[in-house]
Amino acid sequence: MTVEVAVTVNGQLRSAGVDARRTLADFLRHDLGLTGTHLGCEHGVCGSCTVLVDGASARSCLMLAVQAAGTEITTIEGLAVDGELNHLQQAMGDGHGFQCGFCTPGFMMTATELLRENPRPSEAQVREAISGNVCRCTGYESIVDGILRAAELIDE
Amino acid sequence: MSSVGAARFVGQSVARIEDARILTGRGRYMDDIVLPGMLEGAFVRSDLGHARIASIDATRARSMPGVLAVITATELEGAVSPLRVEAEIPNYLRPVFHALADGKVRYVGDPVAFVVAESRYLAEDARDAVEVDYEPLDAVITMDQAADPDLPALFDDVGSNVFYTEAMNFGEPDGAFAAADRVVSAMIDSARVTHVPMEGRGGVADYRPGTDELTYHAASQAPHSARQALAALLKHPADRLRVVIPDIGGAFGQKAGLSREDLVVCAAAKMLGRPVKWVEDRIENLAAAGHAREETIEISAAVNDDGTILALDVKMRLNQGAYPMLGTPTPLFGWIVRTMIGNAYRINHMRWSLDVYASNKASYSAYRGPWAAETLAREILIDRIAYELGLDPVDVRRRNLLTLEEQPCKMMSGPTIEAVAAIDTLERAVELVDYDGFREDQRRAREQGRLLGVGFSTYIEPAPGPPDFFAAIGFTIGGERAVARLEPDGHLTVITTQAPHGQSHETTLAQIAATEFGVPMAHVRVLYGDTNTAPYSSMGTGGSRAATMASGAALHATRAVKQKALAYAGDMLEISPEDLEIADARIRVKGDPASGLALGELAAAVYASPPEGEESDLRSVALFNQPSGGGYSGGTHVCFVEIDAETGIVRIPRYEVVEDCGSLINPAIVDGQVRGGVAQGIGIALYEHARYNEEGMFVSSTFLDYLVPTAMEIPNIGVTHFESPPTDEVNYRGVGEGGTIAAPAAVLNAVSDALGGTRVEQLPLTPDRVLALIDMADERT
Repeated sequence: MTVEVAVTVNGQLRSAGVDARRTLADFLRHDLGLTGTHLGCEHGVCGSCTVLVDGASARSCLMLAVQAAGTEITTIEGLAVDGELNHLQQAMGDGHGFQCGFCTPGFMMTATELLRENPRPSEAQVREAISGNVCRCTGYESIVDGILRAAELIDE
Repeated sequence: MSSVGAARFVGQSVARIEDARILTGRGRYMDDIVLPGMLEGAFVRSDLGHARIASIDATRARSMPGVLAVITATELEGAVSPLRVEAEIPNYLRPVFHALADGKVRYVGDPVAFVVAESRYLAEDARDAVEVDYEPLDAVITMDQAADPDLPALFDDVGSNVFYTEAMNFGEPDGAFAAADRVVSAMIDSARVTHVPMEGRGGVADYRPGTDELTYHAASQAPHSARQALAALLKHPADRLRVVIPDIGGAFGQKAGLSREDLVVCAAAKMLGRPVKWVEDRIENLAAAGHAREETIEISAAVNDDGTILALDVKMRLNQGAYPMLGTPTPLFGWIVRTMIGNAYRINHMRWSLDVYASNKASYSAYRGPWAAETLAREILIDRIAYELGLDPVDVRRRNLLTLEEQPCKMMSGPTIEAVAAIDTLERAVELVDYDGFREDQRRAREQGRLLGVGFSTYIEPAPGPPDFFAAIGFTIGGERAVARLEPDGHLTVITTQAPHGQSHETTLAQIAATEFGVPMAHVRVLYGDTNTAPYSSMGTGGSRAATMASGAALHATRAVKQKALAYAGDMLEISPEDLEIADARIRVKGDPASGLALGELAAAVYASPPEGEESDLRSVALFNQPSGGGYSGGTHVCFVEIDAETGIVRIPRYEVVEDCGSLINPAIVDGQVRGGVAQGIGIALYEHARYNEEGMFVSSTFLDYLVPTAMEIPNIGVTHFESPPTDEVNYRGVGEGGTIAAPAAVLNAVSDALGGTRVEQLPLTPDRVLALIDMADERT
């Protein structure tokens, strides 16, 4: 059964006909060509596929595309504004936040939500907030530092 | 040498070139590749550990919508050669097996059939409709079971599950044991774990029937050896076979060798005449992509009462799982353990034995510091020696570590030790952590019933090792190549043999080349990963080779192009090249910044009208051979733990690393490698276990069962850099593996220390095990 799904992604209205069983992640990646969102486990643990749906973080591997119809979605491709890196991207670049880059979209979207809700988080709060995201390369310290630094940049 | 006045990028934590795409979601990983007419595949995998295949019925699957093929071992016959470890090693059993299970399955996850369809969804629908009828056999799970001749052999053609044994002496251990004051023993049973790159394995095979060209887009750490193996096993002409890597989401050794699945995917593309993509899911990755570290070591030391170690007795057993990895004969891991276990210590005699077993488990594959068992076993033994002799574990290390004054010298296993400052990293670490102060805190805490502990781990690793290290392990790799080319606009292209997947080689090699050439970083582009353009390497990225070998090759290739550019400029300007220098992308007369011409002007002129009798391009290929001295990285790790006596949970309030990898190319990248390595080592020590039950079922097939540490478990890790004296101009050494090598021993020693020296023999230290250890400690006191 094919269903037409329309969503606003990174400010643009996009639509495609999809099977009812298609995940939001596959819809974004393969139907809309937004491959910045990654699939790391497809069972909702690793957090690589995290996107913002109407501002709230969601695991796009556990959500169906049809459930997202009519929502506003933000993916990692939507973070930079007019080609300019945002504060979070800038901070992660300055501090070598990531290595292989596969978990990156999930951490970036989780951190985006955190900083929106809590603009000056403590280190403990940052660690708690990203505890549902797995990174195998970094040992997390550079990611935690990057989020704390981003909070400072946003404040400045 | 670098030009006077040129910007020096080496040694700076310059921003990563990779981040421009990674931070914006514009990386291009394997599953992002879409080709015209591309099909997608899914593997039917065994859900039993050991069974004969009575029948495979794919009739219904083949008739399902969008299904192009269901390929079993029968269809693969002739398309993929039978497989066997190539290296003939005396005493090592080398069974013949097939890319898809032929007649028998040997572990949960063994690929039985490959379903190819118009989409992944349709392929998975049909995969579930393939009916395989199994006749179960007794599963062989433990090494003791593998040694039992009454249990069925996994491979009928070799008839035994004991795949390899060796025993030998280094020096004269019998005399040393007889002369020693006493013998101290320890044992370690290291749990089977898995690499868990955040992106699993996979590939896209693109076959063009008209030209017989096969391009394999592979997540491979070693594209050239993947190409060689594909050409041989698919009987495909190598000149029509290209391997090219996309961005890779981590590997840690798991993507070093060609897998059985790779062969099936490529064969399917050839059979169907259309591109075929396979991307494994996490369950496949955890069950079938390769495991590591299932080893036990029984180790004893002949010691004098002052803590001097006279000799070792080491019995290593390794459970390699079912199918040997194609490229790496499993005994090699034992040989590196054998070679490195004496390490930076003054140990001259050893009895050694190694047994390798086959079992109904996933294949043993190289994982970040694959020989780490030597450091784990030795470092816990040293703490046992301290405990049993009533000495301080730091003092036992001090007494036995080699000093710089004693070097160069030889390890008992053969390799030269030179410029190894492991003992100095220990002293620095002791200073850094206020060791005496901690002992006082620990005593007070204990009075309040709190369990605090500290553990040390001192080690060196071949990174890449001296040339005679490779002779000692019986495995030769050779030099490393790089290509450098000045482009017509004056920018420099460097092509490396590396296949980076998180190590930031695009940045570090650009730092080396830009510094050497005298151009901004933005004028250097590092290319890699395409067998059509990258120079040959059998190794690719692995073995901690890049820092020395790829850097050295890039440096020399760049230097050669620079010499050519200076010579051409000398001709054009009618001035001796010796009087010229390059800075800020200009060739100029030394001391006269306004003189000369831009590199772009020179390159354009040379390409447009090559000087008489000269080759027309500004290009060089350099072969960098291993420097004769040094070659080791190393350091000392200090782990502090607090154990919750109620829950058995081990917390790490502080972790310090003093590492020595020579000169730093990019300190932030080094720190990232160290911290990431330690995080994996902590995972090995406390959390991770790729577990099978008695029936051979794999019970760690999701992230709910296989526990990868998160930001809640991994502490901040202090990194202090120590630079031992340089032995070569190229004084950068690998740093990717050391964290994982050293951390498990530091954690384990800290836990033992917190429990008053209780023996800790089994990993991971899960809360239930720790509670049992606390009971043991209580009983002893």
